[in-house]
Amino acid sequence: MKALSRIKLTMPLMLLIALPFVVKAQDPRLQLSSLDHLAGKANETVDVNIDERLMKMAAKLFSDKDADEREVKKLIEGLKGVYVKSFEFDSEGQYTAADVETIRSQLRRPGWTRMVNVMSKKDGNCEVYLLFNGDQIGGLAVLVAEDKELTVVNIVGPVDLDKLAQLEGQLGVPELGIEKTKKNNEK
Amino acid sequence: MKDDYLWDKSGQPDPEIQKLEEILGTLRYQPKPLELPEDLPVSRRRNYFPLLAIAASLLLALVAAGIWLRVRNQSAPQPDQAKVSTPSPVEKKPPERISPTPVAPKDVIAVNNKHRHKPVAPALSKREREEALAAKEQLMIALRLTTEKLSLIHRKTQNTTPANQIKNQHRVG
Repeated sequence: MKALSRIKLTMPLMLLIALPFVVKAQDPRLQLSSLDHLAGKANETVDVNIDERLMKMAAKLFSDKDADEREVKKLIEGLKGVYVKSFEFDSEGQYTAADVETIRSQLRRPGWTRMVNVMSKKDGNCEVYLLFNGDQIGGLAVLVAEDKELTVVNIVGPVDLDKLAQLEGQLGVPELGIEKTKKNNEK
Repeated sequence: MKDDYLWDKSGQPDPEIQKLEEILGTLRYQPKPLELPEDLPVSRRRNYFPLLAIAASLLLALVAAGIWLRVRNQSAPQPDQAKVSTPSPVEKKPPERISPTPVAPKDVIAVNNKHRHKPVAPALSKREREEALAAKEQLMIALRLTTEKLSLIHRKTQNTTPANQIKNQHRVG
């Protein structure tokens, strides 16, 4: 009888302790800091860290009059963060499978669903993951691991994939040269 | 002798008083309606001065506020100038390459200048606005990169043979 009451007392306590781990398991934010050491080896690095606060501030600067900016504004409404790490190397073998695994292991957590996985010996691997909160998308992750390039994109929040697809070629951002460089190297 | 006559016209009047009454009685008040002359000019003009003064004060206050806001916006330093002056190793590289720094590269700033000159929400302070501009640039880079990668993946899924393409819609977690 005494043991039963003790269990009754400890159960809520254990649930309270376990709660952060459960929440962590469904965290749409990926920890990308494990890739930071690659910046020293990379020829080119893109590192974007925009949290919810910055997202809201940036959203204020998008004009409603400009069609492109209006589209971007609509897309980022409700997003809680955008995190990107992209490394481009001069030569192959600058990053290891373990580096990719640190990201992929996070994407094996409950909630994440791999939507696309393209494996190619020639071009490397490309994966797209979505985090579902019920029927709604709670996050997006894109992992591109090529011979001379490693890119991880993590968008936290309800991503509208249709709107994202519509933005292609409409953003007023100049070419970053990633694809261009790659094509030149292939030549 | 009683003075009641002088008080309330009762009692025996004094002949001297009566005589005085007769003399001064011609000057007594005679009630009659007010008669205005026909040719009296009638002015219907109201005094608008207080209303005009209030309107002028409001207009002056609005103009002053407008000038103040304009001067305040113009005096705020352009954040892109600060960014350009930041030394970046990318500047030595060919312009079509991306920046090795986490901040937006120089060529991005040059193209995005059209966004800078747009009026910024006055709710943001100077520091916040600089922060927001940097965030906006980073956001645009991130979205550009994301759409590029998704497009690349899309192309690959279109081009790859079924043997290479691994089961879409595969649940991991």
